[in-house]
Amino acid sequence: MRPSPKFLSRNFENPAALRLEGYVASGGTQGLRKALGMNPQEIIDLVKAANLRGRGGAGFPAAMKWGFLGKTQGPKYLCVNADEGEPATVKDGPLMERDPHQLLEGIAIACRALDIHQAYIYIRGEFRTAIARVESAVQEWYAAGHLGKGGGGLFGSGFALEVAVHPGAGAYICGEETGLLSSLEGKKGFPKLKPPFPALKGLYGAPTIVNNVETLSCVPHILTLGADAWNALGTEKNGGTKMYNVCGHVLKPGCRELPHDVTLRELIFEVGGGLAPGRSLKAVVPGGSSSPVLLPHEIDVRMDFDSVAKAGSMLGSAGVIVMDDRTSMVRALDNLLHFYSHESCGQCTPCREGTRWLYRISQRIVAGEGKVGDLDRMLDICGNMVGNTICVLADAAAMPTESYIRKFRGEFEAYIRGGKRLGLLDGAAIEAVSHA
Amino acid sequence: MSWTLSPEMRDRFDKIVARYPEGRSQSAVIPLLHLVQEASGGSLTEAQQRAVAEYLGIPMSKVHEVTTFYSMYSLKPRGRRHLLVCRTLPCALCGCAAVSAAVRERLGVAEGEVTPDGAFSWEEVECLNHCDLGPVLQVGEEVYGGLDAAKVSALIETWSKEER
Repeated sequence: MRPSPKFLSRNFENPAALRLEGYVASGGTQGLRKALGMNPQEIIDLVKAANLRGRGGAGFPAAMKWGFLGKTQGPKYLCVNADEGEPATVKDGPLMERDPHQLLEGIAIACRALDIHQAYIYIRGEFRTAIARVESAVQEWYAAGHLGKGGGGLFGSGFALEVAVHPGAGAYICGEETGLLSSLEGKKGFPKLKPPFPALKGLYGAPTIVNNVETLSCVPHILTLGADAWNALGTEKNGGTKMYNVCGHVLKPGCRELPHDVTLRELIFEVGGGLAPGRSLKAVVPGGSSSPVLLPHEIDVRMDFDSVAKAGSMLGSAGVIVMDDRTSMVRALDNLLHFYSHESCGQCTPCREGTRWLYRISQRIVAGEGKVGDLDRMLDICGNMVGNTICVLADAAAMPTESYIRKFRGEFEAYIRGGKRLGLLDGAAIEAVSHA
Repeated sequence: MSWTLSPEMRDRFDKIVARYPEGRSQSAVIPLLHLVQEASGGSLTEAQQRAVAEYLGIPMSKVHEVTTFYSMYSLKPRGRRHLLVCRTLPCALCGCAAVSAAVRERLGVAEGEVTPDGAFSWEEVECLNHCDLGPVLQVGEEVYGGLDAAKVSALIETWSKEER
């Protein structure tokens, strides 16, 4: 495993960087100053050459999304998706709490490249510290004249930009870009049908780019390092370093920046400190709770978007959940189905009814009252949800359901046959039940 | 019971609305409701929702949609400290069931109820995204991680002392 370079996380132990002068002293704003001397298309071409993949979960090439932005004489918007909500994901919170100016620099460069003059940072409401620190950083940029009117624009360039922080109020669905936009407009966070995509018709119906916090935080480094050096930190078509959070049954959980070619095995056993003594690996989710589960023989996969997709899962938000042999996969799935059924916004019947139905069946199984046809019924429900909804929360519920049942079918059947209620960490008890 | 917007609160409202384009003041409904809820002990009355609706010039139903959709708003009283206990998978794998049980036992109230002295209330919530610290409990701005029953007891003991 290569040594861990520090670009996005370089100020994580440097509280002085919370103030603009400390951020500048640490090397910050050089990327923005360079961008201000380039023409906008040059900036977009650089980000394209750097193979920056969107880090919100989809891994869609950022420069390609930027290229879709509609041309208009009217207002255009940049909305920063800071609604980090995918279970197991920890990166945007630390990025905002420990280096808010880095995010602002990325926002400023993106706005300069896209000729956008108003940005909103939508931060989930529970992130009280992140909201306070980003708000404070924004105020410093206004005080220094870089934002707002009459201050000479960004670093005296004359480029006018307004940035405002907007809090969420508790809804996972507002991490979906169109749900976020509905919420920003002051409504329930209902996603909207795509097409039209936000790039053409977004906030208030105007052309809008929605980018993740980590994606934008990469941009200053792409400017200062250049595309080649940034690509060298990653893999083909997946440039740069990446923030990964390893959690669950590991000895050293945490969010760390690593080169994009780290393997899942390295994340679990080296970076994450491995399992507790006497425990063995049972299952691991690579990219946040919505990603399909992987088995112990599948962990030699490079943690970039394309490699994990080839392995049958997704890098998603790079939230790695490690489950050791104590884990009951039946209870683990039940936990997630509670989550998805609660977080469904309710707009689409297949998701609203499907997630709740899945949870009710799961609860019956968990209580020891499962029936033989339950598993196939759950798979059938998933089949009717996916592709039939406005957004992919339905898919996010279906992917764990399908992969846990498919890869641990024997365990689910044994649990049903056993007719007993077991705990989340009573996974080993299943063996006894199935041999009884 | 009615509730009127104080001049000081109205001034704060005006500053927030100014962040949004002309004619788009409805966008401010979420931050305005947060302000009112925080200033009122952690929950919102119907009168307060009406006052926000009136200020923004939108129907009460549009405000009520928002307060009933988002989980951070409460239309029932909350304790001076409202404990959020994460129950989603990463925290569950690290033992959040013990945290919930300890909270329930030490406070002596069920989820959603307030202790008789008005000091505490609690609820289980979905992922707070501090999964590197699981199991996790949040109160206001403070996030507490790596919890077990003993640590929860100690925290509640400390808070109870501060209440006296």
